Amino acid sequence: MNSLERIKTAVGFGVPDRVPVIAQVFGHSAVLAGVELGRYLRDGELLARCQMKALEQYGYDAVFALMDVNVETEAVGSTLTYRADEYPFVKTYALSQETQSEELSVPDPYKAGRMPELLKAARILREEVGNDVLVVGCVLGPMTVTTQLLGMETALYMAMDDPERFASLLDFSTEVIIKFGLAQIEAGVHLPVVFDPSGSPAVIPKQFFREFELPQLKNVFEFFKKAGSAANWLHIAGPADPVLPFYPQAGVDIANFDYCVDPFDAQKALPKTCLDGNIAPVSFVEATPDVIAADAERLLDQFSDRGGYIMSSGCEIPPEAKPENIIAMVSAVR
Amino acid sequence: MGNKDKTMKLLIEALLDGDQEKAIAVTKKLCNDGVTSERIVTEGIEPAMMQLNTKCTTEEYNLLEIMLAGRAVMGVVKELYPLGNIPPQNKGTVIIASMEGDVHDLGKNIVKMVLTGAGYHIVDCGKNCPLKNVIDNAEKENARAICISGLVTTVIPQVKRVKGELEKRGLGHIKVLAGGAALKQLSSESLNTDFVGDTAFDGIQYLDKLEKKGGGDE
Repeated sequence: MNSLERIKTAVGFGVPDRVPVIAQVFGHSAVLAGVELGRYLRDGELLARCQMKALEQYGYDAVFALMDVNVETEAVGSTLTYRADEYPFVKTYALSQETQSEELSVPDPYKAGRMPELLKAARILREEVGNDVLVVGCVLGPMTVTTQLLGMETALYMAMDDPERFASLLDFSTEVIIKFGLAQIEAGVHLPVVFDPSGSPAVIPKQFFREFELPQLKNVFEFFKKAGSAANWLHIAGPADPVLPFYPQAGVDIANFDYCVDPFDAQKALPKTCLDGNIAPVSFVEATPDVIAADAERLLDQFSDRGGYIMSSGCEIPPEAKPENIIAMVSAVR
Repeated sequence: MGNKDKTMKLLIEALLDGDQEKAIAVTKKLCNDGVTSERIVTEGIEPAMMQLNTKCTTEEYNLLEIMLAGRAVMGVVKELYPLGNIPPQNKGTVIIASMEGDVHDLGKNIVKMVLTGAGYHIVDCGKNCPLKNVIDNAEKENARAICISGLVTTVIPQVKRVKGELEKRGLGHIKVLAGGAALKQLSSESLNTDFVGDTAFDGIQYLDKLEKKGGGDE
């Protein structure tokens, strides 16, 4: 069984030859290769080369054509500050409270900002691994794109003060996501993960998620499935418990759960959805391989009867993580 | 319950609902009725913050509700002190910062809002702040505590150094509190801080306990 088959089997609650493992290694692959993060994030070919090197070193089941949380907002018109060894941040937001809807234009993924570089990375990775290893692309969720277009504070206040306007911006964000995600599928990713930290119950109440975010996510995932996405993967970090029961309505096949969500609570909320998680990201920096191995063993035990599980961290493994800790997680499933 | 008490209760409700417009309207009424600004702070804003604290500990906590309540509180404070005079801040000075390399300041700003509402004098060192600036400000302002917010793991080594740097300057009595998505994954022992908070309100509870004990010595 190869990595892709293994993951598909786990998603379908079949019995894989072993539990699949996806280390959420993004910028860490640049650090591992001795490449400046700031360069990695702007050069699709370099990104793909670093991802392949990390795959070779760690031997896990997926690679990522994924940059950071600013790709969509930059493509729409935000300006970013890039740094050598840190992720970039938004210097000026593309939209403001004054922006009129007719000024909005959905960016062309083949031309706008770093989107073409991400597509390049996707193409190279798929050429390299074919159908042996899962190639994961990335789009942000509608709520996260919107907060990245306006800034978190402006976006949340707008949601309360001018909900109609906010809803129309969410619609716009969803259009951006669908177009970008479909281009990624065309470029060769097996699936684009939908990364939606601003959809977390740590940011918005679950009623807000149900009313505003859920219909948008459903729309996004329907498009991705129709375009051939291998599975719909939703990634909401933080204490996601209150919104997990909505995932099946959104069409989610793989649900990430963070370190602060109890694995049994996640299983109870999503009995028929494959789960991935939830070793604490910071422990890959601060802990020792023994601690990671013990965490991984505990998770394997907790999912042994149920199946439908992918070993992973709760969120991104930080760029400065210790390689021996990632090795400990990957070794645990072997 | 007298009319003024009823109006004060309305203010607390408006603040908890995050209804800035209503909170300001009720504040204006209280002022017109002769209620002092200080009373509005101690009998309106502070109890509202305490209730919000309880709500956040017992129910689902989310940024949106806290931001709305924070905006309403700041609106009332501005109404009461339009010339920028500071409201009564008799619980001591707290330094707040996001450390060098961390450009996220939303969490820090929320903590700032709730601590201000709870009666602390806040000196905000901003985001991406070098450790030396934090220590310099703590010394200059005779701070009771330093609150550090961290969303990214790369600031962990700096956070671990804060207490040592304070001690080098004879400021070991200043308490160090940490919070934020990255830092709250760690214990206070591993971060070498006095406290790690899960929510913005955990910090208030910790500081209020120090306040009650007097002087910040545990």
